[in-house]
Amino acid sequence: MDTLVNVAHGFGVALLPVNLLYCFIGVFIGTLVGVLPGIGPISAMSLLLPVTLSGTPESGIIMMAGIYYGSMYGGSTTSILVNIPGEAASVVTCIDGHQMAKQGRAGPALGISAFGSFIAGTFALIALMLVAPKLASVAIAFGPAEYFSLMVLGLVVLTFLTQGSMPKALLMACIGVVLGLIGLDSITAQPRLTFGRMELIDGIGLVPVVMGLFGVAEVLLNTEQAIKRDIINTKITHLLPTREDWKASAGPVGRGTILGFFLGILPGGGAVVASFASYALEKRLSKTPGRLGHGAIEGVAGPESANNAAAGGAFIPLMTLGIPPNVVMALLLGAFVIHGLQPGPLLITQNPGLFWGIVASMYIGNVMLLILNLPMIGMWVQLLKLPYNILFPLIILFTILGVYCSSNNVFDVYVMIAFGIIGYFMRKLGYEPAALVLAFVLGPMMENNLRKSLILSQGDLWTFVQRPISGVCLVFALVLLIAPLLPSLRKKRELVALDEGA
Amino acid sequence: MSDQTNVKLRLSNSELWGGLIGFALGGFVIWSGMKLKLGTINDPGSGYLLFYTGILMCVFAGAIIVSAVTEGAPTLASRWENVRWSKPLLLIACLVAFSIALEPLGFLLSSIPLVLLLLRLIDPVRWTLAIPIAVLVPSGMWWVLKRLLLIQLPSGLFGIG
Repeated sequence: MDTLVNVAHGFGVALLPVNLLYCFIGVFIGTLVGVLPGIGPISAMSLLLPVTLSGTPESGIIMMAGIYYGSMYGGSTTSILVNIPGEAASVVTCIDGHQMAKQGRAGPALGISAFGSFIAGTFALIALMLVAPKLASVAIAFGPAEYFSLMVLGLVVLTFLTQGSMPKALLMACIGVVLGLIGLDSITAQPRLTFGRMELIDGIGLVPVVMGLFGVAEVLLNTEQAIKRDIINTKITHLLPTREDWKASAGPVGRGTILGFFLGILPGGGAVVASFASYALEKRLSKTPGRLGHGAIEGVAGPESANNAAAGGAFIPLMTLGIPPNVVMALLLGAFVIHGLQPGPLLITQNPGLFWGIVASMYIGNVMLLILNLPMIGMWVQLLKLPYNILFPLIILFTILGVYCSSNNVFDVYVMIAFGIIGYFMRKLGYEPAALVLAFVLGPMMENNLRKSLILSQGDLWTFVQRPISGVCLVFALVLLIAPLLPSLRKKRELVALDEGA
Repeated sequence: MSDQTNVKLRLSNSELWGGLIGFALGGFVIWSGMKLKLGTINDPGSGYLLFYTGILMCVFAGAIIVSAVTEGAPTLASRWENVRWSKPLLLIACLVAFSIALEPLGFLLSSIPLVLLLLRLIDPVRWTLAIPIAVLVPSGMWWVLKRLLLIQLPSGLFGIG
């Protein structure tokens, strides 16, 4: 009953005209960046992070969340019609989606992708409503040792799932922690690694780092090769899947939804992992696995449902524990912090309007996305024809303005350009920036919790092992660290390792 | 991978360079941590986490170096094979020039040439389209930010923008 009252309260907040507008802007921009190859939700969210300052916390966060789950919808359009993933979570959709389009079945592919996403998004929201308050009440009992170990686990899972060698990903995570510690020490107020520059006293901003590593570096990589687009030119009709399509897709949608939701909750997981896992599951369960890869609707329905369910599930650790499970959630945490809010176990009780408002807005956003992505598909197809050589200078200009507006400081523009160049060389040498960014956000929190737990336990390191939740997290992290050393597990890791960057 | 692009103990080994840079950074972080004071395990100081993170960096960089030497790795040149390497280089040069010009020239006078250069240098857009985009987009953004959102953009020595 309490949940229903809270949901009603949430809808009261989400249905305010200003919040509806921000929700629409968010899902619209999300679909847009999903559709346009070369810009992902991370770049778009970091670009718009400063905009959240102009409104209420609810409006800003509703918009940011909208960009995230909106991009999951939009990404599939590009994958199906152009065979270029609009964002990383739609890579798998290219395989069967584009084959379907080539066979003249672009309509059902787009249709099942949108309906599957809607069903999965709705399930994830209901689960979020039911799970988050319960988990938040448990999380109140978490001490600094548990928080520290959970963050270590999150980082290790992400490095385990990142493409390339694990030492490289771990090195990136360590660099991220160090970058996060630049500025005044939160306990002793001693400046660290500031090199005498006043601009570094408050540390390096999240916005220039993320926009450099993901926005500018991505553009630099894209300019190396002329993006060729093989757009399906036939008129897109029959968006509603047939009865046979539904029959073939029901299982994959259901399985993808549940799998995606749980993978989304896991620290280090997220929409990309979920879509790949769902595709692998469907291939394994299929009676005719040979069909997958040649235009099977299951290969679109499963991954598209999984990535949307994961996008919803990822809100749980952020909202209940205050720990972002992936880079996108780290940016959302940035939006909370900008407004002086700290997500965590007390958020739901202290700011019920904010929490339930965001949850309700996500439901409204899902309905908006269904409308945006089905009847208006023609508009997005037209947009796909916008040449990249016109688009990328504008992306560069928007990133510069976005960074400058976030702090009114030219120094941040320099930081962004520097990180853009560093990010480009990192990617060329096979170092993925996702672990660095997550560690950059978690670094100061990790240090704080580590020092607190050491002070509280009077220097007893066993406190991290003796406390059950903390101990389990550390054991799991250790297993993942050792796993790549075993040849059979190393091969399995390479199969699931993902490029989170796009 | 061909023999020419997969090398072991050679200066052109790209992984070796990555590992060495990581190792040097790790060393610097350890030194910075020690300089900031480690404190004790009962009361960790400002350099405590930095110091141990630096050690971890050296360990992981060491693993990268060992793997580069024993298993071999692509050469630096092969990382830029079959790509238009000059295009990102041009873009980087434009961005560096922009960052140098931003404060003295201001937002408008530095961003209009930047957009024009990017439109013409990478995958050239015809002049009749490039000039209007380069002038109208930065000017439009400047107008929205300065006049509507009242955000002060750098105006430079000439006070334009």
